[in-house]
Amino acid sequence: MVLDFPTILSVTEQELDLDDLLRKVTLPGTGAAAIFAGMVRAISSQGILRETAYLHYEAYVPMAEAKMRQVSEEIRKRWRAVQGIAIVQRIGRLDPGTPTIMIICTAAHRDSGVFEAARYGIDRLKEIVPIWKKEVGPDGEAWVEGSHPTGLQS
Amino acid sequence: MQIRVLLFATLRDRAGARSLELDVPSGTTVGGLKVKVASDFPKLRESMSTVLIALNREYAFDEAVVPEGAEVAMFPPVSGGASELIVPASIA
Repeated sequence: MVLDFPTILSVTEQELDLDDLLRKVTLPGTGAAAIFAGMVRAISSQGILRETAYLHYEAYVPMAEAKMRQVSEEIRKRWRAVQGIAIVQRIGRLDPGTPTIMIICTAAHRDSGVFEAARYGIDRLKEIVPIWKKEVGPDGEAWVEGSHPTGLQS
Repeated sequence: MQIRVLLFATLRDRAGARSLELDVPSGTTVGGLKVKVASDFPKLRESMSTVLIALNREYAFDEAVVPEGAEVAMFPPVSGGASELIVPASIA
């Protein structure tokens, strides 16, 4: 029997549904899921504490989805035991406390690399997936720019 | 050839447009494209030193030739993750 390993990739304006995602990456032989979720902070620190009213996330959607696919393929090459992968990014206006990114990797057991795989997923996503955020606070708006990336080709 | 350059985040705000229409010679490189944008769109000149360019949804570097009919996009370093640099929107 050939088991299809599910790969869920999306950029969405809808609320992220963890239970639904977990169901989609759980196979009959799945016993472990490592989940990373990134949330919008109400307070961020840029040397001084800054108050955030909300964030606005923007993506170059077709390229973001292509780069998420690349990240998922890299995960599968490095961690052969990984079964399901979900990488979902929420964009649009997001209030503090709201999850904006979820990465899930599943496998038969927890010691099969799922923690490392999910960690790798979020690190790569931040490096190569074209998504930007604008902080809106009491003092106005500001784009948050990443550092110039080094890992684009690999 | 005519190309359309999609703009995102700070680039779009600075240009006040979602895309640019450019007329460039065939064989123009990504580096050449940046020079052209810097000269035709003064508001974007400062951005050209750190801007990233994608051709057909893949990162491209200065030596790459822009293919006829390519989907071209121009944007700042990505920031889905950790914040490194804050660009006040008032100057953005």
